[in-house]
Formats: sequence, C-alpha cells, structure tokens
Amino acid sequence: MSAKVFHESSELHVTGKAIYVDDINSPCNTLHGFVVTSKIASGKLVSFDLSNAQNVPGVVTILSWKDIPGHNQMGAIADDETVLVKKELQFIGQALFLIAATTEQAALKAAALIKTEVETLEPVITLSDSIKKGWKLNETVVTKRGNAKKAFETCPHVIEASAESGAQEHWYLETQAAFAVPGENKEIKIYSSTQHPSETQAKIAEVLGIGKQQVTVETRRLGGAFGGKETQANMVAVWAALLAQATQNPVKIRLFRDDDQRMTGKRHPFLTQYKVGFNAEGKILAYHVSFNANAGYSSDLSMAILARARTHAENAYYIPDILIESTAWCTNLPSNTAFRGFGAPQGVYAIEDAIERIALYLKKDAAEIRHLNFYTKTHNTTPYGEIVENNHLESIWDKLVKSSDYYNRKKGIDAFNLARTYTKRGIALTPVKFGISFNTPHLNQAGALVNIYTDGTVLVNQGGIEMGQGLYTKIQQIVASELGLPIEKIRVNASITSTIPNTSATAASSGTDLNGMAVKNATDQIKDRIAAFLNNHWKISGTKNSIKTPELVFSNEKITHSINTSLSISFTKVVNLLYTNRISLSAQGFYSTPNLHFNKETQQGRPFHYYVFGMAVSEVELDLLTGRHKIIRTDILHDSGNSINPNIDIGQIEGAFMQGVGWCTTEEIKWDANGNMLNHSPDTYKIPGIRDIPQQFNVDLLENAPNPNTIKQSKATGEPPFIHALSVLFALKYAIASVKNHSVYPELNIPATNEKMVLCIQKMKKQSQ
Amino acid sequence: MSFNRNYIEFLFGNKLERIVWDDQQTLSPTTTVLQYLRGLSNFKGTKEGCAEGDCGACTVVFATIGVNGKLEYKAVNSCLVFLPQIHGKQLLTIEHLSDKNSVLHPVQEAMVEMDASQCGFCTPGFVMSLFALYKSSSQPTNETILDAFAGNLCRCTGYQSIHKAARLALNEMTPDSFTQKEKETIQLLQTINKGDACFKSANQVYYFSETLDSALTLKHKFPKIQILSGASDIALKVTKKKEILAEVLDLSGIEELKTIHKTSLGHDIGSGVSLQTMKEELHSELPSLVKILSVFGSKQIRQVATIGGNLGSASPIGDLIPLLMAYRAVVVVKGPIQKRSIPILAFIKGYHQIDLLEDELITLIHFPKPKQNRIIDCEKISKRIDLDISTVSAAMELELTPDKKISSIQLYFGGMAAVAKIATNTCVFLIGKKWEAATMEEAGSFLEKDFAPISDARAEAIGRMALAKNLLIKLWQNNPE
Repeated sequence: MSAKVFHESSELHVTGKAIYVDDINSPCNTLHGFVVTSKIASGKLVSFDLSNAQNVPGVVTILSWKDIPGHNQMGAIADDETVLVKKELQFIGQALFLIAATTEQAALKAAALIKTEVETLEPVITLSDSIKKGWKLNETVVTKRGNAKKAFETCPHVIEASAESGAQEHWYLETQAAFAVPGENKEIKIYSSTQHPSETQAKIAEVLGIGKQQVTVETRRLGGAFGGKETQANMVAVWAALLAQATQNPVKIRLFRDDDQRMTGKRHPFLTQYKVGFNAEGKILAYHVSFNANAGYSSDLSMAILARARTHAENAYYIPDILIESTAWCTNLPSNTAFRGFGAPQGVYAIEDAIERIALYLKKDAAEIRHLNFYTKTHNTTPYGEIVENNHLESIWDKLVKSSDYYNRKKGIDAFNLARTYTKRGIALTPVKFGISFNTPHLNQAGALVNIYTDGTVLVNQGGIEMGQGLYTKIQQIVASELGLPIEKIRVNASITSTIPNTSATAASSGTDLNGMAVKNATDQIKDRIAAFLNNHWKISGTKNSIKTPELVFSNEKITHSINTSLSISFTKVVNLLYTNRISLSAQGFYSTPNLHFNKETQQGRPFHYYVFGMAVSEVELDLLTGRHKIIRTDILHDSGNSINPNIDIGQIEGAFMQGVGWCTTEEIKWDANGNMLNHSPDTYKIPGIRDIPQQFNVDLLENAPNPNTIKQSKATGEPPFIHALSVLFALKYAIASVKNHSVYPELNIPATNEKMVLCIQKMKKQSQ
Repeated sequence: MSFNRNYIEFLFGNKLERIVWDDQQTLSPTTTVLQYLRGLSNFKGTKEGCAEGDCGACTVVFATIGVNGKLEYKAVNSCLVFLPQIHGKQLLTIEHLSDKNSVLHPVQEAMVEMDASQCGFCTPGFVMSLFALYKSSSQPTNETILDAFAGNLCRCTGYQSIHKAARLALNEMTPDSFTQKEKETIQLLQTINKGDACFKSANQVYYFSETLDSALTLKHKFPKIQILSGASDIALKVTKKKEILAEVLDLSGIEELKTIHKTSLGHDIGSGVSLQTMKEELHSELPSLVKILSVFGSKQIRQVATIGGNLGSASPIGDLIPLLMAYRAVVVVKGPIQKRSIPILAFIKGYHQIDLLEDELITLIHFPKPKQNRIIDCEKISKRIDLDISTVSAAMELELTPDKKISSIQLYFGGMAAVAKIATNTCVFLIGKKWEAATMEEAGSFLEKDFAPISDARAEAIGRMALAKNLLIKLWQNNPE
C-alpha cells in the first residue's frame, strides 16, 4: 500500500458536509427530547407530581419510570443502572423524567414545574471515603506470580509509596446524541452517536420490551468518542427511543455540553499503593501493587478496566515476584467508564513512578533502570502467563536513545539546571507495552458483508465505528488492495445493526484488526468464486492446471493470471459474468481472533493476540514560580507493525499523546462535598490547546516490524500511545527534583497542574535533603 | 432617535438576506448566529461544541468594510453573537468556502493534505479560523498562527497536523474567489442602511443603537435594560443559563465609542474598542496591557469583546482589572446630563458591583501616561496558557530610588478576593526595601494579611496563596534592573 491515502471523509470534514447525528435533517414533527435529572447525589425519590408540567403548551409527553414498557435497566454489564429513577437517587445528573416537547423552551419550562419530594442522604464522593465505608463494588481481584511478600524479605532495597490519578473527561467535540424514528408495529430506528450499536440496540429492545429484530441502530460517524461513547451513548439512545415510542413522533436528544460533562462517566480516578523491591543495580525483584478505582455509582465497565490495569501493571518489565490487587469502589458519582487505555495508563503509571523513585534512590538514570528491567527473549512471561513474543523493546530503545540524543541532552539539562534558580528543565524516557484484544476473549469477533454491484463498485458493511481513527479509510484500503480497485470504487457503509448483527464495541484499539479481517474474509470468498468461475471461463477446467485464487492477481481493475499473463479480464466484466451466470456477488465475512483464552479463576492465560511497543522521550522547561511549562521536544518511536496508513497512524499517536498530556497536567475535575461537579464546562475544564504541544514533535513508526497473523501485518494504534504522555509527567518531576539536586522525590500526583507543582516545590524547599 | 428599523440585512455568502421582526417572526432577537445556522437545513457545517466560546467549533467569519475600504475578515464564535449584530456584515460559514463545483479553498486543501482532520467535528471551526488568517493583510508568523488557533479545541489530532496545514496554506496567500468578488461584495454591503433599530418579539425587545445619545436616552427610559457591547459575556445568559432577556440595549454599533485617542496625557480608549484592537494598536505604548491581552480569551473572543463590556459586566475575575489599577486607569461614564471620571479603584465597588448609575454608560477608559521611571508589569497564572481565566493574576506599579530601593509600589491581585484588590500590607512592608528577590520572598508572608482566598473549580486556597507569593518574585524577576 504505497501511495498516500487520505482519511475517507477528509473532504467532507473540511467542507462541513460530514453528517453527524444532530445534522440529520429531521421531519418537522420531530420533538425535542429533554432529560430531567437528580439535583442530589444520594437520597430517595419519595413522590413526584407531573401535572403542572404536563400542561405547559408545547409539551407532548412526560415520562417517569412508571411509563417504561420493558425493563427499567440499562447497565452495560450488570443490572444496576435504572433508565429512570424509581426510588434510589445515586448521583447528581441521574435521569428522573423525560420530556418530549415541540421546543426546548417548552421542555425547560415544564422541567421547572415538575414537583418532587426527596429524602436527602449523605453522599460518598471520594475514593478514600468509599474505602472507609467499605463500599466495594466487587471483591478484590488478584493476579500474581511467585511470592512477592516473601521476596521483599530478601530484597536489598524496598520502597513503598502511592500513586494517585484523577478523573478525565473525554471531551469529545460532539456531545452525546440520538435521533429516534418510530416505525410501524413497534419498530424503531435510532441514529446514535454510539461506539457500540449492538449494545445500544439491545438496551433499547429490553427497555421498550420488544425484540432486537425490531430495533435498528445506525451510526455513520462520531465526532470523537475515546471510550466515552462505548456504554455512555446507550442512555441518550434509550431515552430518545422511549420518547419516540411513547409519542409516535421522531425525537432528538443532544446533550448540552455541561449536562454531558455532569451526567456521563469519566476515566476512573485511581488511588494506588505499591511496594517495590530491587537490588543495588536497579533490577526489580518484587512488586506488590494495589489498585483502587473510583467506579462511581454502578458497575459499567469498571471490572474490565481493572482487568486491563492488572495486565498492564508491570508495563514493559519482567518482574519475577509480583502481586497485583485491584478493587473498584462505589461512590455517588456518574459511573466511570472506558477511556482510551482502559485502565492501562493508571496501571502503568504506578510502576513507572516506582522506577523513578528507584532511580532517585540509587542515584541512577531512570531510563537505565527501565532498560535493565525490560522483557527479554529469556525473561518473557507476563504475570498472567502470556509469553511476550516479537518483542521490539530493545530495538526501539537503541533507535530512540540515539535519535533523541537522550544522554547528551540530559547532561545539558543538568548543567542548565545548576545555572538557574527559577527555571528548570527535565527529561524522561518512558516505554509502553500494550496488549491488543479485548480482555474478555469472546468479544474478539467481527462480521462483515461485502456487496459488489454490476457496475463494479463495492459497498462494504462492517460492524466497526468511525470516530476519527480512520477505520473506514483502512477498510477501504484493505478492500481496494484485495480486489485491485481504486479507492473511489469502494464505499464503506454506516454501521447498521440490521446488516451486521451482534457486534462488539469499537474499542480496545481493535477496530481494524477485527473488522478488517472480517471484511477480508468476505472478499476472499468472492475471490474464490471468481477463481472458480474463471477456471471454466478460461477453459482450464478438467486440466491439472485449475486456477487457485492465489494465482490470480487483482490489480488495476483487472484480474490476471500470475503465470499465464495473457489470461486477463476486467473486474467489471467478470462481475457481470458472475451475475449473468447466477453467482452471488455478495459475501458475509466473519473473524474471531485465534488462540485467546483466559481463566478468571487463576487469572492466567493468553488474553492478547499480540503486543504493541513504543517509547517516548520528552523534555520540558518549567517555571518554578508559576508552574508554567512548555514541552521543548518530544520524540516518539512507535510500533504499528506494517502500518496500513502511516499518516493516519501518526495522527493517532500525536493525538493520543496530547490527550495523555492533558490527563497528566491540565485536566482536573473536582467535586464539592455534595457531589456537585465543579469543572463541568470547558470554562474550567482544560484540555490541551495548540500552544501546549511540543515545540519539536517527532513521531516515527518503527520500520520493518511486520506483525504476524494480523490484517496486512499491521498493528492496532488507538490506545497505546496515550501512555507516551507519562514521559512529560516524569520530565516535569525531573525538573522539580533538580530543586533539591535529585535527593528528594517530588510527591506529585496526576494531574500535575501548575498549582500542584508549585505546592510540591514549596513543600520540597522546606524539606531537608 | 427613531428606532424605525425592525429588520437586519446581511450578506449570507453572496446573497443579501433580510430578517424582519414583524408579527410573523418566530425568531427571538437574541437568537445566536449559531442557533440560526443550525436551524437552517443546509448549513449544518457549523457545530456547537460548548455554546460558551471555549471551543471554537462554531467559528464563522464576518467580513466588513475596513478603514482602507478593503474587506476585513474576522473569525468569531457564532455562539456568542446575536443576530442583530450581523446587520451590515457579510457572514461566511464553512459552506461558503468551496465553490459550487466543490473546488476546495486553499485552506481546505491544506487541511486535507496535512491530515488535519480526524473525527472532523472541530474541523469547520479550524478551517474558518485559518481562512480569516489567510485573508489577513500581513504575512502571518508562527505566533499569529498559534494565536489564530488558540480559540479552537481539537481532541483528536494533537494539533501538529493542523499547525502544518496552516503553514502550508499561508506559505502562499494567492488571491481566492473572495478576492475576485471583493468589489461586488463591498457594493452590496454598501447598499445596507445603517441606523438605530428595534426588534420586538412577544416577550423581548432588543434595541440597537448607533449613537451614544440614543443609547443614553434609552438607558434613561429603561434603567434596568440589559446592556451589551460585544455580547461575549451576555450571550452566556442565553446559551447557558437559558434566560430570556426581556430588554436589551446593544451598543456594538456605536462608532463613536470605538476610537482610541492618544494625547499628551495618555490614552483615551473608547468603551466599545475591542480587546483585539487594543492588543494590535497599543503594542509600543502600553506593553503590559498587550502582554495580558495576549493570554486573554481567544482571538475570536477578543475581536468582539470590548474593554467597556469587560468593566461593565463587573466580573469578579477580571484578568484585566489588576492591571488597569496599576495603570491608574480612569473610567469615564456618561449620564443624560453629566459626565463622571472615576478612578478604577473607586469604580470597582465590590463583588459584581461597580460605580455606575442606572442612567449611565461607560464611554471611555483613560490610561494616564505612566510617569517616566515607573515600572508597570503584570502576570497571570492559569491552568492552560490560552483561553483560560486566571487562577491568580497580579499587577504592579513600581518606582525605585537610584540605589535600587523601592520608593513606591502598588500591587494588585486578581483571584485572591471577591474583587481585584490592592495588597495593602505587602505594599507597606515593601516601601524602602531593596529591590531584590529576597525582599519579594520575604514580602510573601504579608500577602496572608492581605488576602484570604477561597477554593473553587480553578484552585485551592492554599494553592492560590502559594502562587500569589511566587508572583511577587516573578514580578521582580521580570524587572531585575
């Protein structure tokens, strides 16, 4: 795949013609859907009176839990999320009533007239309060190898510390939206901004009390998602569907930005305690880590997220004796959810923090300690029993240390710091090893339906969702390459549950891996039919030289025999011949990732198809007085296998990195004691802007690293590069540590806001060395 | 004063549009341009990301006839502009950039070429910001590129590709279809009549004044009327708080309030002067003002927000206020009979309270020429550099003796109390002390006597105090000699 291929929607993006859910022109009888939510974080709904509200002109209907025809539950995994509250109020922003009105004004007016009687209870907001109260969501899950606790007894050095990280709001530019159109006989169609149409479909069917075959969910593209629309899109879709079914009118709901921020889940805040044992050289001998996640009020995906935290707790390092514990804790907050990295960033953060402490303690270079502990050819078994194969850590290290000039720059930084009082620089190198596949084996499946039409054009249906990551472009490229057609001849259809059923979420970075393979499976079948047909057509049948598909070259809209090149036929012609010979031009593809297994009892198995590797070096300059900082330079070398689309993959890496920088530095969410979110709009919630990017930003893909047994030997890209941002956090910590000549470790959590850094520096200055 | 005009006229692309507020009109006069566009079936390219001017997804471009008779293009957040404010302007949206044959504008082409879109939702906003920059008269620098995009958020790309696209597009700013149609556009714009206007709906009345006199008369008649100038703050009442503004008086069309006079006594800046104009025109004369304006809001906001609006909204945050205090700015207000000149310190009376009578309007802000050897400086700390209200801000007016001792110092802080305030105890301590880092470090403890900051969404009390103390040192560090 040589020539550069642009994102398939790029021209639509830049001309404003790309259609998102709220852009769909709706019939004039479309109603405005509005959600009335709880204003208290904990309590009971004693009674309510909708009568005054119902009389507001323009209001068509107001629904409470009593009006739900089916199951009043919409939790993705467990039945612990009510669609509309019956009794228990569990967080501020929880849905109580739904209003359908002709205008937003009418809905607002009605909402203000709804009378409720509530009983207020004291809410639990922070992780530490939940732990104190023992509000466990589930029992603690443990992954282990060897006996860490015993190993500590013989470790020359042991450090104990904690690593805390905060909530992160997805801040997709397009807020949650759904447009529901009722049909005949209880059928309903929903255009939803969901990462998981099949689950959205399932929840709607359950709540409306109808079969899944009566619900169609369609998604063309999302205006960003990052995990925030994996389960969180369901509620808006369910609410819109309820209102549409009740009124028999089309209903649109698009959450207002502040409501979206208040109502939907975030990246889980983690409070992690760890103990690490190591020798004088810096080799890690034992590690005991305990993850505590703030799950919010319900299960959502918290247990799966902790599973990924556990399977990434050791990151790129071989640790002989290791004990990993994880617990999710309940609070009166929206249910925290999937967010790029899915628990891995929090898991990796702790071990990387441990390494930084070891380096400072041994007065060694942190990158050296990392290098010393990398998985190798011999030390290659993870704590959960999977072998780390095709390990590129060493070659990435070699290349990046050279290309970033890490050691020389570090020397220069130390000299710079000695000469300055108020400005300090820091540098850090951090690696990532990221397991690809859903941790739950059965989710690793995908379907496709490829239709070829008699004009030689191709419509590809598949279950993956385009959310900016370039999935549709890569699918197009795969089909173009398989069938030897120009990109323009191939259209990737919106993902529709009626065409591709029972799909998994587009998540876990797996979109192209799974759907690309399913699509290829479909084109393979069609190619086989073409080969069988050409066998007859070219009168080769009956001889020993019957044509097998691999002998055919699909290229330049022609099919040519690879040995006897005089045998050649145009693609459109062969397609027409298949049609007139009554051979199907449509094929259904399927893929399931091979050799995945995981035993939940022993927490051992092979959950991942392969690993993605990468490393980053970041240099920062920090103004100690104001906490203002700039990233002077970042170098990333990242493994995308044989990238299907290098420009798209580099874009993913750059974007993931900056999202991670936001998590590490400026993105802070606070709640007051009553559970009110303080940072509920971009006024006070600060994602990175253009001036926050590295002044020099070098992103390269690892060359000559084909990935065996994946689509076009490529690798997934979406989530792993998020973790490269830890290089910025530790570079900042290095700059701060220079204040005390690297004798005191900066006690600084995520996010390291300028306020937190200044307070940390202030505290360090008071400490003796 | 007639207020006969009950319609607005504007060029929508090349088409002259007219919206009349008669009995049939269903649009509220406080409909934002974004709400208007989203209500049209073929103009869905402009997106709502936040409805508060913090993301730029709704960026559109206004073209107006500039002083040199040429068209001037400005990128603005359409979520913060009310329909009456586009009267007499050309409104350009993403749909207007490529022609009927779908030939992309050079800025769109560059965005495609550099892979500058991923999910595409923020893209129209970035394209419009870049388009306005493309149409600017001077060759943009890297700094002006960053400045033009500071008001646009992207969550997918990490901005590097967008930055590259901008450099590619701006490398060669060849005339485009808008240049070709410039004459025609100007002629059409000139056909639009100006004049005071009044737009009435069932529950709202919106006055648009074009003279100060008519505005003062109205203010006298309707003392509770909501004044707005750029609307960048007032629009939030509509978009976020969902308020229905019953009576509005829009000053944005009053040209006499938009002038900057430079006199031997200093600068007289009309209350209607936009913050962007101040930033561009006062570069050499009031460098500290320009320094703070560089990190104030975004270009989209600064182009509509005015200095008078900033003072009149009496925001407790006021990134600008501490500096105005250090400059000893004087607020000039005018009522039906008299004019008053009020020093800024007296003008700010308390939390959301200013010294402005019900029938008065702010007309200008006077910046006295600073005394020769006075140093004026300011600092602002915010979580993010751009488009972020200060956590703590500080401004200083300083005079030193020949042997580097502090002969006079005034320190003003924002974010440390309900209003911007002078740090009295700290200033008293500093008089006569040597101007050096150690002095400023020592002075920090006096801030604790001056302020008891609060914890909120932006920072904790303890963090604010630590930052404020550091700003004392920072102000020294900025001016060590």
